[in-house]
Amino acid sequence: MKLLTANRLTDGLVIWYASDNWPEGWVEDAALAKRLEDAEADAILEAWKPRETEIVGAYLIPLVDENTPVQREYVREHVRANGPSIGQTALDTAKAHNRPEVF
Amino acid sequence: MSQPNSASAPQLITAEGQVIANDWQLLADEDAIGADGAYVLTFKRALADLPTLNGRYGVRIEPGDDVRELIPYLDKIALVEVSFPGYRDGRGYSTARILKQNLGFTGPIRAVGDVLRDQAHYMLRCGFTELLLKDADPEGVIAWIKSLYQYSYQSAADAHKPVWALRHAKTEA
Amino acid sequence: MYVYDHYDHAIVKQRNAEFSDQVRRRLSGEITEDQFKPLRLMNGVYLQLHAYMLRVAVPYGVLSSRQVRKFAHIARTYDRGFGHFTTRQNIQFNWIKLAEVPAILDELAEVEMHAIQTSGNCIRNTTTDQFAGAAKDEIDDPRPWAELIRQWSTFHPEYAFLPRKFKIAITGATEDRAAVRVHDIGLQLTERGFDVYAGGGLGRTPAVAPLIKSGLPGEKLLSYLEACLRVYNRYGRRDNSYKARIKILVAALGAEEYARQVEAEWNALDQDAIDAPYAEIARIKSFFPAPAYKAEAFDQAAFDRAKAADSRFARWVRNNTLAHRNDDHISLTISLKPIGGVPGDASDAQMDVMADLADDYAYGELRVSHEQNIILPHVHRNDLYTIYQKLDAAGLGEANVAQITDMIACPGLDYCSLANARSIPLAQDISRRFEDAQLSDTIGELKIKISGCINACGHHHVGHIGILGVDKQGVEFYQILLGGRADEKAALGAITGKGLSAEDVPAAIERVVKLYLELRTDPSERFIDTLGRLGRDTFKEALHEPA
Repeated sequence: MKLLTANRLTDGLVIWYASDNWPEGWVEDAALAKRLEDAEADAILEAWKPRETEIVGAYLIPLVDENTPVQREYVREHVRANGPSIGQTALDTAKAHNRPEVF
Repeated sequence: MSQPNSASAPQLITAEGQVIANDWQLLADEDAIGADGAYVLTFKRALADLPTLNGRYGVRIEPGDDVRELIPYLDKIALVEVSFPGYRDGRGYSTARILKQNLGFTGPIRAVGDVLRDQAHYMLRCGFTELLLKDADPEGVIAWIKSLYQYSYQSAADAHKPVWALRHAKTEA
Repeated sequence: MYVYDHYDHAIVKQRNAEFSDQVRRRLSGEITEDQFKPLRLMNGVYLQLHAYMLRVAVPYGVLSSRQVRKFAHIARTYDRGFGHFTTRQNIQFNWIKLAEVPAILDELAEVEMHAIQTSGNCIRNTTTDQFAGAAKDEIDDPRPWAELIRQWSTFHPEYAFLPRKFKIAITGATEDRAAVRVHDIGLQLTERGFDVYAGGGLGRTPAVAPLIKSGLPGEKLLSYLEACLRVYNRYGRRDNSYKARIKILVAALGAEEYARQVEAEWNALDQDAIDAPYAEIARIKSFFPAPAYKAEAFDQAAFDRAKAADSRFARWVRNNTLAHRNDDHISLTISLKPIGGVPGDASDAQMDVMADLADDYAYGELRVSHEQNIILPHVHRNDLYTIYQKLDAAGLGEANVAQITDMIACPGLDYCSLANARSIPLAQDISRRFEDAQLSDTIGELKIKISGCINACGHHHVGHIGILGVDKQGVEFYQILLGGRADEKAALGAITGKGLSAEDVPAAIERVVKLYLELRTDPSERFIDTLGRLGRDTFKEALHEPA
């Protein structure tokens, strides 16, 4: 199982794939990201990679289970999904969604 | 290596902004040198064959080649092509300046390979006289560079006077 | 400080016009990300973990109050209300929108600033002594020379695509506060010209630069640098980016052979075409006069009364000021390392406060140090208490300069896409552990430097205690180095054993510090001196075994 993530071209913010619509199908809240089966995930990534005027740096994050990214990338992905762990900006993603952390 | 505007076939343009035809043909090392025609030799072949060749040839210089090895044969060289296999390899800029400023080479110095509009200004400043430019509008590129870059801080191999020279020329006038 | 003339303005404007066009082409899809990336990097725009980051050059760390106010405005308008001062004497904004970068660059141009060559494989901002023009131990002012280099290196056509980035540092004082020997080229001003060191650096293969030339006349500086760069551009390795810095070339050739090649290239250059004439050097020097010092006698009695009445002020004076060449004046360091804070960060409001103080009491001038603090280089001693109170009210009154909580830390994995581990939370934990002012004063000078990866933006190799974050199967670990220093006795620290977890680091450091306090001969023997006297092994055990 995987999540598809990228940065939005215009403001660089981290976004997550939830559906194929642009822009509303890509969300800032990782908790709303679509859990993708591996084969499906690869196909969606390939389909979105060329859409460079919308997103940049798209890649897949493998999940151990529905909510836990694989260990190898855990710290990085956790920080990426939740905003800086030092909590210095008011708009950190997790806080913006009223949760202690996104995952 | 990325190639901006690489969808366009490269066109040869002079530092003055004129698109010109390329009459030169790069010879593979195993190809015989024909009786007529303008041939560009690889660096290795130039070093091996120029001592015994009559006539004048082009030479292709790759990034790792030392242009100073050509010193004995400069009068047999009618054109130098400086190759940029990827635009991020900047050795060709030094090659062009050495050729023009240290060795006094007066023939055309041509940039070939990954030659893009975003590097064209630097290339012209280093003494390139022709660019095989990967761009749909090479004339526009040269005109744009000339309008954009009026001043340069440092001297190089082109006609730009460094800003310090302009500053102090003005004070004296 | 240096003031742009119409040529300088025109050159920044032409770049902004070019970059605006490049951004437009990227947003419209005319160029791809692959094509755009090197172009944006040459303008200091990175895509980091959470957003775009813009790195703005602070040439040789010198700032006017007007420029700091502009930073505050940018932080407020285009970012999330703060900026991060870096170990390269620059400032970074962490939450920038690509589409707004051209507007930000135009705003910066209004105050004679830019982001040119703050990234990419080119000649970067020249760094120098944050106390230049003020310190008592200065032989010659490095700032005019740094400005000369800034102009020469800006859009240098031959050196825009070097094997790797290239950093030059200059010092003009006997105490090296600019860490010149861990730079690609380090310049030491002496009475008989420049001593030139080449091939130093941190990162993957740290090296202390050897001397390659002594007594280089200032008028010949640019042509000599041009020769140094040409040899590097032609022969620096390009097959492996980890081996592409000049330190690898100098080590491979040997310092003597590198120097010989530079000399040969230098002699072949048309030096007169490259070297700015004396009139230009004099013109640049004329922008760096001593300030028109306030002619007011220092009131020692009032100063002593203030110190007696406010012990925190007394401590701040003791720790955060440096002797000035004008005896009524002093240089002061505003610590951007509040206990538990983010090293090097300042909010928009704090930047405004510092700009106002500079205008009111410091002849409008500020500096950034590579230690990520802000300096008011010229302050009359009668104004110190007022300044202190205003700083303290803005959360800028920390009195810890050069002490254990005055840590250098890179942004680490909280922001940086290259990082392997977080730096800031660890700095915060260590800071809280040594919060006690008395303990911190007792320990005295101790420099901790933290990097979140081997690229060493946090200068961990030259920390008295260096900390390097590494990633082991997705878990952060920290290797501890001991014995590095960045001063005129530059030395590289050595790794002391296996990595520690983030939770274990503060306690390990505390054990080392306790051992130092037990072992030092007297309070004037600094940590680094005791370490030098007794050797690393003495402290290694304390690091790794709970006492």
